[in-house]
Amino acid sequence: MNSTDLNFFLPEITLSLFAMAALMFGVFVKRDATPRIIFIATTAVFLVLALWISLGSGTNSLFNNMLTDDAFGRYLKVLVAISCAGVLASSVRYLKRTGLYTIEFPVLLALSALGMMIMVAANNLMSLYIGLELQSLALYVLAAYRRDNARSSEAGMKYFVLGALSSGLFLFGASLVYGFSGTTEYGAIAASIGAHPNLGIVFGLAFLAAAIAFKISAAPFHMWTPDVYQGAPTAVTALFATAPKVAAIGMLSRLFYVGFADAVIAWQQILAVLALLSVFVGAIAAIGQTNIKRLLAYSSVLNMGFVLLALSSGTQEGLHSMLIFLTIYVVMSLGAFAFVMSMERDGREAVEISDLGQLSSKMPLRAAGFAVIMFSMAGIPPLAGFWGKYLAITAAVNSGLVWLAIAAVIASVIGAYYYLRLIYLMYFGEEPSQDHESVWTISQAVVFAISAILMLAWMIRFFLIENPSLSAAASLLG
Amino acid sequence: MFAFAFYICAFVIVISAFLVVISRNPVHSVLWLILTFLSSTALFVLLNAEFLAMLLMIVYVGAVAVLFLFVVMMLDVDFVSLKEGAMKNLGFGLIVAVILAVEMMLVAKASNSVSATGTMPIIEGENTYVLGLALYNDFPFVFLGSAMVLFVAMIGAIVLTMSHRKDVKRQDVLTQMYRDPAQAMEMVDVKPGSGI
Amino acid sequence: MITIGHYIGLAGILFVIAAFGIFVNRKNIIVILMSIELMLLSCNISFVAFSHHLGDIQGQVFTMFILTVAAAEAAIGLAILVVFFRNRGSIAVDDVNMMKG
Repeated sequence: MNSTDLNFFLPEITLSLFAMAALMFGVFVKRDATPRIIFIATTAVFLVLALWISLGSGTNSLFNNMLTDDAFGRYLKVLVAISCAGVLASSVRYLKRTGLYTIEFPVLLALSALGMMIMVAANNLMSLYIGLELQSLALYVLAAYRRDNARSSEAGMKYFVLGALSSGLFLFGASLVYGFSGTTEYGAIAASIGAHPNLGIVFGLAFLAAAIAFKISAAPFHMWTPDVYQGAPTAVTALFATAPKVAAIGMLSRLFYVGFADAVIAWQQILAVLALLSVFVGAIAAIGQTNIKRLLAYSSVLNMGFVLLALSSGTQEGLHSMLIFLTIYVVMSLGAFAFVMSMERDGREAVEISDLGQLSSKMPLRAAGFAVIMFSMAGIPPLAGFWGKYLAITAAVNSGLVWLAIAAVIASVIGAYYYLRLIYLMYFGEEPSQDHESVWTISQAVVFAISAILMLAWMIRFFLIENPSLSAAASLLG
Repeated sequence: MFAFAFYICAFVIVISAFLVVISRNPVHSVLWLILTFLSSTALFVLLNAEFLAMLLMIVYVGAVAVLFLFVVMMLDVDFVSLKEGAMKNLGFGLIVAVILAVEMMLVAKASNSVSATGTMPIIEGENTYVLGLALYNDFPFVFLGSAMVLFVAMIGAIVLTMSHRKDVKRQDVLTQMYRDPAQAMEMVDVKPGSGI
Repeated sequence: MITIGHYIGLAGILFVIAAFGIFVNRKNIIVILMSIELMLLSCNISFVAFSHHLGDIQGQVFTMFILTVAAAEAAIGLAILVVFFRNRGSIAVDDVNMMKG
């Protein structure tokens, strides 16, 4: 460990120091305005970090090769920071209403984001494990954060048990990889196992893949997702749908593309099967849902299927399309959840799909924005969501996974049904018996508007993300 | 002798772990868990990992298992109702267990032919010294990261379980110190023969 | 002669028992939490055994971190359990399933 290592790790150090300072401030300065100050400060810190990290350049290995600071890691770190800022900005009103507007929420969120930043940069199974657990433990607490609510604590319990089970799988896989390759560092693992891994490595790889599939809620390890999405406070659900997914996909990509670089054949099939199951489970199981949060849970399963589809190509093109798709998905989810958190009636949230009925006549602008986001999620050309799916499918076809690409197209068409049903309800559905209250804060509206505008703007050109994602994909393989 | 010690430990670990899982009474489960940890401690000594053996004893038996016992006792759970209908998913669980067990045996068999060599050899010396050197020289980052994990655990446990009950009177030292006679006392002129 | 295979076999059996415990004990979350501890213990045994076999220190260092994290995980798990119990008056997962799923 030397001082230049610390330079490259300075954003994360700032984040951890900020979390501690914010906690101290919140505990010792007990004023009414304290939560407000900490919420604004945390959002600002995340935005500053996003800018700061995006200015970095080059590839450096830090702390005896525990972490790698490269364009790929920086891209995902920026995405994590932006999604955390977006969640904080759009959830203030919801948190106030549910009595969760406390100092610990942003502190836990910041510590969880620190774990995610370690995960996407980790270059060693040990630092990966610590980052993973730092992120997970904070998220378990956040899921059960509404402690007077039985659903929230049930969600926390389910998330904890399945998360801990997946940690166990991860560790057993890591121990097998360590035992059969003699090291925990990615580069050395790749050098040790070569192109034809032996039985122990293959089993270790399968355990690791299953553990990560739990974390990104890929089928058949998705069973916790609908319950946890529904039970957790909506602000936390918005977080679950964005930042942790980015981090888990980042760690999956780096582990497989760097740690098992030559053994593509061994993991390509695993990812392809996970992708196939995820797209179909996500598309078909969502059809019968009447709760928007559950529906978005299955939607995230479907979208993770597309991410895995792009990753299973094993090429630089696949990585690039994965990054583009993931960015679009995160922006869309932030907008969708900002909208869901604005739906309330008599001070309670209204998250049944029938509550959307005739929204267009009462709030035309908001309904139009949500329609754009849903069209984009459904993959209707020429919106951004379509181009994301198109790139992912092209990457899969180019690496010979034609059957998987065809399956993904079919699933996507099935999945489009339920997104379009939401839009149908908003414009032609029956009016709910009670009226909505038009409630949202300016920051919530800003997040929603940016999301909807980007969905329209990115159909022309992926500005802001085109070149960074290209260099990010190149840096992981180079 | 070595083999005998291994088989004794392994036997106790497997049997007591199984009893942890199938015991009807959680208190018994905790006690079997402690036995599992203790026999694993012996196993770690057989593997020349004395420091970890000590750590397992102190952290697991001393803290984690006792924490479990504390929670089992604190939550006034109706154990009679828990006994009914337990083991519902027995069939599914057995299928998963058998498949996993077959895989594990394959891996164990394969592990006898490990040809890899370690990249960070164990140097001569006492186990604690060797482990400490590696920990602070090569893994300071992970060490600091685990400190953050414990920090999160502390915040989380407090956030979730601490409840300020409004109906309980508490001592507020600052208020006590700033009390002065003008606020605290009221001079009342009491007439003889009547109360206040 | 005790080989590495014996140790990995033992760790494997312990892992299977723990997984079995998680799947089967749907009525009692405390036992599920204990099964998770058993699972982490099996990983520890596997790491230490490989470390001994390879003559490599990394496995032992990893085990140390697993012990630390497992303690933190137990604390969080039990805290969530306590909140769950306060809300529901029961520690059974499938007793009253408020959410279908």
